[in-house]
Amino acid sequence: MSQALSVMMLSWEFPPRVIGGISPHVYFLSKSLVKNGVKVYVVTCDFPGAPAHESVDGVEVYRIDSYKNPSPDFATWVYLMNLNMQKEAAALAAKLSDKIDVFHAHDWLVATAGIGLKHVFRKPLLVTMHSTEIGRRDGVHTATEKMISETEAWLTYEAWKVICCSQYMVSHVKWAFGLPDDKLVMVPNGVNTQVYEDVQGQDCASFRLKFALPEEKNVLFVGRLVYEKGAHVLINAIPKIVDKVNAKFVIVGSGYMKDQLSNIVKSMGLEHKVMFTGFVDEETLRRLQSCADVSVVPSLFEPFGIVALEAMAAKSAVVVSDTGGLGEIVDHDVTGVKVYPNNTESLAWGITKVLTDEKYRNSLRENAYKRIQEKYDWDKIAKQTKRIYEGVLGEYSKSFWA
Amino acid sequence: MRVILFSWEYPPRIVGKLAEYTSALATQLVNNKVETYIVTYHGYLTGLADEANGAKTFRVANPVRTHIGVLTWVLTLNQEVERAAANIYYQANKQVDLIDVYDWHFIPAAVSLKNALGIPFVYSVDSLEDHRALGANTPFNMAIKSIEWLGFYEAEKVDVKSDWMREEIVRIYKVPREKIKVISPTADSWIKEVLELYKTVVAGGKAK
Repeated sequence: MSQALSVMMLSWEFPPRVIGGISPHVYFLSKSLVKNGVKVYVVTCDFPGAPAHESVDGVEVYRIDSYKNPSPDFATWVYLMNLNMQKEAAALAAKLSDKIDVFHAHDWLVATAGIGLKHVFRKPLLVTMHSTEIGRRDGVHTATEKMISETEAWLTYEAWKVICCSQYMVSHVKWAFGLPDDKLVMVPNGVNTQVYEDVQGQDCASFRLKFALPEEKNVLFVGRLVYEKGAHVLINAIPKIVDKVNAKFVIVGSGYMKDQLSNIVKSMGLEHKVMFTGFVDEETLRRLQSCADVSVVPSLFEPFGIVALEAMAAKSAVVVSDTGGLGEIVDHDVTGVKVYPNNTESLAWGITKVLTDEKYRNSLRENAYKRIQEKYDWDKIAKQTKRIYEGVLGEYSKSFWA
Repeated sequence: MRVILFSWEYPPRIVGKLAEYTSALATQLVNNKVETYIVTYHGYLTGLADEANGAKTFRVANPVRTHIGVLTWVLTLNQEVERAAANIYYQANKQVDLIDVYDWHFIPAAVSLKNALGIPFVYSVDSLEDHRALGANTPFNMAIKSIEWLGFYEAEKVDVKSDWMREEIVRIYKVPREKIKVISPTADSWIKEVLELYKTVVAGGKAK
């Protein structure tokens, strides 16, 4: 290709608009694609104070009027927002000096805009399915949920390739929408190691005193306090762990189970061993992850498990339950410890083993950090993504649309 | 001249008067040597077909079968309308002179085709949400009104059937009066006036 490959990303969130994981994902992916010689235009929803057009680390970001009249409901708003997004993206793509080669949509939230753009410009559409309505709701039950799920099916049908962030999601999406194998491709989510390097080297000993006694080992849980994250499994494992090793359990996050969890802790007489911090700011979180002796992810369900990756990037040893995408991130006994999901015995065994064997712990940390750099590095992910674009364009060039 | 009509009803799908009107219009356009396509909805009779009157229809269905209201139904059907129109456009060597859109349903597709491919459109108004909803201003009505507004804003010309409707559009949407042309469907000069309107728009060149 004589001209640089150019892609238009469609995402309903992009920093400073951050609602979930799609925003940082699109930001890091776009920025790393630019470093690899791809021209990236991001079309996203507007946000108070953010300009309608700006260049962010080489990424051309366009913020559209996201339909600000009152909407009948969230799903209808999504489709109305897509009407504006498609209109503005179409006008932009038509007037750009370099032609857009591919459209890349993220989740059903930009489905109709992506599908429309594909047909009017006759360019390939790719989609990253970060999650599904079936997964979010554990099946579809209402008309709204069915409509969203059918929109997701339509989007994956129209897409040339469907990217998922874990093998677990690949098989889930394949099953949910009945897609052929060769349409699906796994590209992991990345983790930004730089932010952890920035906090490392800062004094852990005095920082830890805010959370634990000097002689206590630090066990860290980060996650929403909801059933599927399994904080209750960790709390039930505590007596078995403190029998063998003196440790403090720091629980970061909030959720509907918070009161219930602290009541359990109280009734177990473990208040001196458990600290609930609630939400913490980014820097405190990174320092907690960097200073922990072990980070525990006891989820019962996890499509990807970014929190385990972050802990590994922070050079913390990890103990995770062997479920969903989480089980794929960790190589047992090499980059971390995998335990049986929803099993306090197994979880206690894993945490105790990591805390009592310093040599083992250090080897897990080193291997995990190496694995992060090898596999979950944004630059490598961008290269993989670029190869997917090039592959699609190769097929496209032989089609009658070209 | 090559023209595409967008209408959410066209025989055999008859909901109101629009099906009969667009069918008569298509017949007259063909008689006046206009290459005429109709993009419309049908639940299952999908695809391209030759009509007895010499026009071609492209019927599309909604890929999303479950809906919570007419708005979500319309907003997911529009991409199929775009796909049909884009197929006509690319197969005709990128030569489509204009799109004539009947009521608000397929305004999103027309706006997108205009912005992407520069095909101008005429917005033909049969009725307005303000009259249909008797002034109701729920978020649902407002969304439909915002789509009507978008249509008036993006259209090259607006086509109405009566002076009363022209004044209502001026009153409610503050559209410049000269943008709106009144063409009575019962007048002898009806098709001649429609063709004149089309010619004015085509003479204006590519949209934007």
